[in-house]
Amino acid sequence: MTAELVTEVGAAPEAPTRGRQVRQRLFADRMAMAGLVVAVLMIVAAVAAPLLIHLEGQDATSYHPELLDSARGGVPRGAFGGASGAHWLGVEPTTGRDLFARALGGAQISFLVAFGTLIVQILLGVGVGLAAGLGGKVADSVLGRLIDLAISFPQLIFAIALLAIVPSGFPRPLLLMLVIGLFGWGGTARLIRGQVLSLKTRDYVSAARLSGASRARVAVREILPGVSAPLVTYAALLIPSNMISEAGLSFLGVGVRPPGSSWGQMLSSATTWFQADPTYVLVPGLLLLVNVLAFTVLADGVRTALDPKARSLRGGRR
Amino acid sequence: MRRSAALLTTAALLTAAAACSSDHGSSSSGGAAFDPKNCQGGTLYVLNQSDSTGHHLDPARIYTSGGGSVTSLIFRTLTTRHRVPGEAGDQVVPDLATDTGKASADAKTWTYHLKDGLKFDDGTPITAKDIKWGVERAFAPELPGGIPYLRDWLVGGEDYKGPYKGKELDSIQTPDDKTIIFKLRKPEGDFPYVATATQFAPVPKAKDDGTGYEKHPVASGPYKVQSHEQDKNLVLVRNPYWSRSVDDQRLACPDRIEGTYGLNAAVINQRLSSSAGKDANAITADTDLSPAELARISNDPNLKKRAVKGEFGETDYIAFNPKVKPFDDIRVREAVAYAVSRQSVVNAAGGSSLAKAATTFLPDQAAFGYQPYDYFPAGPGGDAAKAKELLAQAGHASGLTVTLAHRNADYNHDGPAVATAVQAALKQAGINVTLKPYDDAAYGDAIQKPSTEPGMFLTTWGADWPTGGPFLGPIFDGRQILKDGGNFNASQLNDPKINAEFDAINKITDPAQARPRWGALDAEIGKQALTVPLIHPIYIRLTGKNVKNAYLDQWRGSYDPAMVSVK
Repeated sequence: MTAELVTEVGAAPEAPTRGRQVRQRLFADRMAMAGLVVAVLMIVAAVAAPLLIHLEGQDATSYHPELLDSARGGVPRGAFGGASGAHWLGVEPTTGRDLFARALGGAQISFLVAFGTLIVQILLGVGVGLAAGLGGKVADSVLGRLIDLAISFPQLIFAIALLAIVPSGFPRPLLLMLVIGLFGWGGTARLIRGQVLSLKTRDYVSAARLSGASRARVAVREILPGVSAPLVTYAALLIPSNMISEAGLSFLGVGVRPPGSSWGQMLSSATTWFQADPTYVLVPGLLLLVNVLAFTVLADGVRTALDPKARSLRGGRR
Repeated sequence: MRRSAALLTTAALLTAAAACSSDHGSSSSGGAAFDPKNCQGGTLYVLNQSDSTGHHLDPARIYTSGGGSVTSLIFRTLTTRHRVPGEAGDQVVPDLATDTGKASADAKTWTYHLKDGLKFDDGTPITAKDIKWGVERAFAPELPGGIPYLRDWLVGGEDYKGPYKGKELDSIQTPDDKTIIFKLRKPEGDFPYVATATQFAPVPKAKDDGTGYEKHPVASGPYKVQSHEQDKNLVLVRNPYWSRSVDDQRLACPDRIEGTYGLNAAVINQRLSSSAGKDANAITADTDLSPAELARISNDPNLKKRAVKGEFGETDYIAFNPKVKPFDDIRVREAVAYAVSRQSVVNAAGGSSLAKAATTFLPDQAAFGYQPYDYFPAGPGGDAAKAKELLAQAGHASGLTVTLAHRNADYNHDGPAVATAVQAALKQAGINVTLKPYDDAAYGDAIQKPSTEPGMFLTTWGADWPTGGPFLGPIFDGRQILKDGGNFNASQLNDPKINAEFDAINKITDPAQARPRWGALDAEIGKQALTVPLIHPIYIRLTGKNVKNAYLDQWRGSYDPAMVSVK
């Protein structure tokens, strides 16, 4: 997200070869490829969740009291949280609900909210960023303050308050997307505004403007392609951050509502069980860790590939 | 005869009274057997989440059942709970008085005589006037809190403003220093149970400076206060003017008692289970084991020995508001009763060691007059077929969608864990349940006001003392419906015949005679399916490894520090 990157992006004739270069660099990055494989697997599993759960022969909401040791606080019978051929990852203490089915349900929520929120963030961020960058002094200073506000807002506290007061009839995943998105677009907007300010004085933009192109056309046809590379990089990093936000809010009890499942909510109820039934903590914990790690590594790979001169988050490598 | 939700929560959660079942009694681990004659010495530590005095160390402001745990070490009362393990712990026995009270024929006048040789911690004798003063000052608006019954029961109580402006309450008479007479405006056979409350502790007028009294309360029990920091700590030392010869209800083994408040529940249980250093001499007066802690402890034979089990007269249930459709139709209410899986609810509450299935509204203890019945036998897993049949008769053959309101926290068994268990079971019977969570504060307000009361919700009820009256009255007595809030008669039942039976039983002063009548009344009301009883909770608490004679008493389900020894 530096001047060099902009130079490269802006140099139209280079574009065809550049795409291939980026791909080559990305494919050569083993960490990023590992992240990509895991991320794709996770997404496939989430999309195919109904099929996989059907294959296992369980569902996410049925109680199985027969699998629990009721006299011992409702801990699952058997080793590894009651894992068996019928319940691949074991069952939940005190309810006996299938953990595999609930974990996949959690994956669906995680992706749904992460990508849904991303759309909200990009729409708001790009819209406000473009308007601030192209809209003249007054618009820039008003929107600039708005961006500052969005970034400096105490998001967590406000999100908790908002999630707690919205009527329970409102679809929770959509609500989560809106709440996380509404508090998370500031960074995108600031990035876009910066890019726009440096792009709009460039010759090809001036040329387009002088040849009579409308403001909207300049914004969409000339400026937007120029900001796409940093936007992709930034968006890739927003995905794992959104996953964490969803898990955090569900952990705090204001996210997904029962009987729906979420990794954060599973972790929250599992915390007291870490000694009696470690499997219950490990399932959502590892899934969240692996998923967030995969997307972060992948995003970092994309960034390095797009901008080889920038330092990787992982240090040294380029 | 009603209590606020917060106080009820306190009663259920903190003093969580419980009855010791088979394995009550000594929880000592090794060492010499407990001998009451030779148990004195040492310091007992009390690890609590909240201040065991309920913030204010003033007997007028404390709201506890049976005198409380730590508070009954400092304040003796006219009567008190019987300090023994098991069912006998539900009895009321004399404390400062010579008997549990002599009632007039109409149960409206109660007379008490004081024992000989009773002294305050400064050596001055305790007189009937000190007890009268103690009750009167509980009416003072500057000392809010305390039990709600005095204002309702005593003649002239409704507009009495306390003794500080020189006005006495004429319905309390003290003809001599040893005699005190209470005049009630209606028959109350349970008066001796109410006289266990700290409002019936003596307060010397000469030492009373109103709101400042909590800083230097005068003790009548075996210990006096050395220091107290509200919600932080309490240190008690021996009261030299107390002896076992004037008190047959307290052993008072430790020389010193130190309470630490404001601890996290998990921390308390961790400290008790590791029993390191001083924690070996510790108990808790307000923290039960969670299901996960129980699961862990049951793998460790040494810890298992130190987990003491008890019960409290409490029922966790589904309440209906029959003014809300479709619950006006008894067949729908019965269908819900048939469909619930009590096995799932028991597991949601922590499994069979922490809860047992309930089919009656009264707790299954003799003191309440328990009479077994199960009009809508659902078995452990629910009878979906029977529920569907009833729904079809009620015109809901294609299924039904209803809302279940619940608290957004699980500590009281009226939260998401139980709600989702009910939801899953009702789904089998074709009833789609939408869950409606409320946050803690809003929940009590919503369910205790007929105009905002949901059609179906989870709630709990525990009694201030172990008889049928306080258990059934607020829930089913039509005269206790409160339109403006604080209402517990959720079904808004107002049946003249049932109301008359309440009045008739309240006249009975012999608990043994009242019990079968309360049981029969519960069995009669149960036919209307106005509630679906789910579980009676069981409480399990840990002690430090040096603690002896720790049992959870039947009255409150809490350890009695007056009986434990750390020697």
